[in-house]
Amino acid sequence: MGLPHHPLETLNPLNEAELNEWEEAYAAVEAYFQALRLRNRLLVAELVRRVLWRASSRKVNEPDKPARVLAMEETLAEISAWTQDVLAEPLENSRLAARGRLALLLTGMPDQWQSVFLTPPPWPAAFVAAMRSSYLAAGPNFAGLPMVAKPLELNAFGNSAAQWWDTMDRRPIVRMMFVSFLVVLVSAILWFIFRD
Amino acid sequence: MDTPQPTPRDARRPFFGRFRRFMRRLVFFSSALTVNLAACLWMGDLFWRMNFQRAHVLLLAVFFVLNGLLVLGSFHALFGAFDILCGRRRAVRITRLADAQTFPLAKRFAIVMPVYNEDCVRVCARIEAIYLSIQATGQLAAFDFFILSDTRDLNLWVLEETAWTNLCRRLDAFGRIYYRRRKSNANRKAGNIADFVRCWGGAYEGMLVLDADSLMDGADILKMARVMERYPRLGILQTPPRLIHGASVFTRLQQFAMRLYGPLFLRGLNYWQLDGGSYWGHNALIRLQPFSECCELPALPGREPFGGRILSHDFVEAALMVRAGWEVWLAWDIEGTYEEAPPTLIDHLKRDRRWCQGNLQHLWLIFARKLPFAARVQLFMGIMAYLACPIWFLFLLQSTWLAWDRRFSGLSNLTIPGHVGKWFHIDAVTQSLILAVVILGLLFLPKILAVGGAIFVPKVRRSFGGVVPLVSGALLETVVSMLLAPCVMVAHTMIVTSIVLGRSVGWGSQNRETDGTAWPDAIRFHALPTVLGFVWAAVAIRINFAFAAWMSPILLGLMLSIPVSVWTSRARYGRAMAAHKILSTPEELNPPAVIRLASAATAAVDPALSATHPGRQGIVAAVVDPYVNGVHVSLLEPAQMSEPELDLAERCLSEGPHAMNDSDLAELLYLAPAMLHMHRSVWLRPADTIHTIWTQAVESYRRRLEGATP
Repeated sequence: MGLPHHPLETLNPLNEAELNEWEEAYAAVEAYFQALRLRNRLLVAELVRRVLWRASSRKVNEPDKPARVLAMEETLAEISAWTQDVLAEPLENSRLAARGRLALLLTGMPDQWQSVFLTPPPWPAAFVAAMRSSYLAAGPNFAGLPMVAKPLELNAFGNSAAQWWDTMDRRPIVRMMFVSFLVVLVSAILWFIFRD
Repeated sequence: MDTPQPTPRDARRPFFGRFRRFMRRLVFFSSALTVNLAACLWMGDLFWRMNFQRAHVLLLAVFFVLNGLLVLGSFHALFGAFDILCGRRRAVRITRLADAQTFPLAKRFAIVMPVYNEDCVRVCARIEAIYLSIQATGQLAAFDFFILSDTRDLNLWVLEETAWTNLCRRLDAFGRIYYRRRKSNANRKAGNIADFVRCWGGAYEGMLVLDADSLMDGADILKMARVMERYPRLGILQTPPRLIHGASVFTRLQQFAMRLYGPLFLRGLNYWQLDGGSYWGHNALIRLQPFSECCELPALPGREPFGGRILSHDFVEAALMVRAGWEVWLAWDIEGTYEEAPPTLIDHLKRDRRWCQGNLQHLWLIFARKLPFAARVQLFMGIMAYLACPIWFLFLLQSTWLAWDRRFSGLSNLTIPGHVGKWFHIDAVTQSLILAVVILGLLFLPKILAVGGAIFVPKVRRSFGGVVPLVSGALLETVVSMLLAPCVMVAHTMIVTSIVLGRSVGWGSQNRETDGTAWPDAIRFHALPTVLGFVWAAVAIRINFAFAAWMSPILLGLMLSIPVSVWTSRARYGRAMAAHKILSTPEELNPPAVIRLASAATAAVDPALSATHPGRQGIVAAVVDPYVNGVHVSLLEPAQMSEPELDLAERCLSEGPHAMNDSDLAELLYLAPAMLHMHRSVWLRPADTIHTIWTQAVESYRRRLEGATP
């Protein structure tokens, strides 16, 4: 692995396993940039190469970490640091990442600002202003009205029915007796009517 | 520009004073009662002539209720026709009250759309159309939009967030269109609206409540807002929504019938209810201050299904507003107000199951104190809309029994002279035929008036595509609705019976689109009416062929319920009819601008922010996709992740979301640190340490490598 100005002869030869490992790291980083909808292949290739160079530098000191993990850590860290600089907001690290991605989306980065992505300052003023003003709100400032239920005022018939209903709810034996009485009553009425 | 203050004249109610309102109601209901009593006496006399039995008393009592409802319905159309022909000057046109008002709105209004497991792209399309339509009036600054989500499906939740974000990006409507999701959907739709009022109601004069399938024209919304500003006693302004986008035969039948016959009924309803109108749950503008004071619904005595939380909240809210002295108007002349209907008979009946329980709960409110007459009548009519079917079923059963009894009891068919026979010199057969003709006349009167009116008014005739489509549509609608009615009768009877037996209903989302009912589903759903129809037909033939012929419209409807249900559910037959303008409505033949806007709306769909890509949909997209994750996390409250929550996130990573239950998954989705942790992990970790659903989702972004594959 090396930077663009490094001659190829200075690269350490990689064995088959290492090649596969860095291939996976390359694919993961590239996929992440594509997930950010970076369309320009040259730009993506440059960014991936830069990230992998840093990851390979770390690999010397952290040989046990898989190349993919190192590469993706570098990717996320670089995006996070860059977002911090652009937004100039004191946000907790992981939250900042989400805020940054949201700002990129709302700014229209996939279509308009690809060339600015992960570049050092100064950035176009319009881009910075758009990034800093991009946020989501589920609603405006609270301005509530109280809603308190008033009890239902029933007339005498309704009150009696409510009391009776409540009694039947609480006492299943009374309910069963009442239902049985009703069934008998209705049957008797029907028998009386239809036996004629 | 100075905003005009309401003058004393403006503040006056535009409707009649108490005396004339009382007279209108007296005339309407007393004439309906008179006709019903006359029909009952006529029938009683007929029974007398046929040798009166005790069973006739019950039959007569049932007839009184059934015929009363029939007369009430027909008289709505009759008085509506009268109001259209003669009451032009006296009828209040809501749109005219807003005429000549061009100044900016002084108050602010919210447009709220509660959603529950809906197709969010279509919901956003409707919002987009309404937004653009209001924007065209130049009064957008006075309106804010709220999508109030009660969606329980977690995948749909993510889709709603992305659709809303795309909508706001495309329309540049951040800070104008809001999306709020409730963590708990307590008290369903009424609770959803109440939650909005508690959070933001104080910032607005009124809220326009929409359903997820509602669509309204911006100019009409503006008129309604102006009327509400001008008349400070106006509490609710309800519009009569028109059905649109009917693809299946069933929906086309419904929308054609509502569009053709609806205006008569609306005018008839408005004739007597005036400022004591009703609220139908959506497409209505509500003044927020009185709504918050009056309309937090009390719990009813006892448990569900009859007690507990009120399911059908709208009628009750209007009744409580009217009780508190606020006016509820029916804006019958607002035209740009639309909704969609369930696509099949089965979907329609499922919705009825929910509405039926809600309306039967209103029995308690009939006994509430201080409710005005109009509110009680509205509640009563709502209850009877579902009790009418069991009563009709009872009537038919009794009639069959009496016919059977007469046939096999050996009683003579000779009649004795009754009062009617003496006065009018007619025999019993003529007397029964006259009664049948009157009842059929009452039944078909609204259709005859509506079709006649449409034919004779050139503008209306042309809007339906001409005389031939109009008449053929009306005839087809009449035949099919006659076939459907017995099936609905049995279904409603079963629904009411199950509710009386104590089974309450859940809260399902509506199926608004379908390819039709499958035959096995139809057979399962309509097995009982079909069997009942064949058994009943056998009994009727056993009695005699004349009785079977008399009962044939009912029996045919029952026996054919399965094929009719399937046939009416088919969208391809609906499209074939549309090609010939059959059952077409003016909105279908010449779509208004807002409908065209909604059909063309695409702002909610953007590949840059999508949670519908194959392999990474919904929850998977919320974890894997950097933008979907960013949007989702940004809408969550800041929080800390505990050890158990971290374990939960790790389980989701290793076993995949499908291995988790909804409650655990919902907990993770509500926890911003967990979502961020999972997003980071699926990208960082090697493939063999996480579930394949995550690795496949990550792989799906690798366009270049896939493209290089030979």
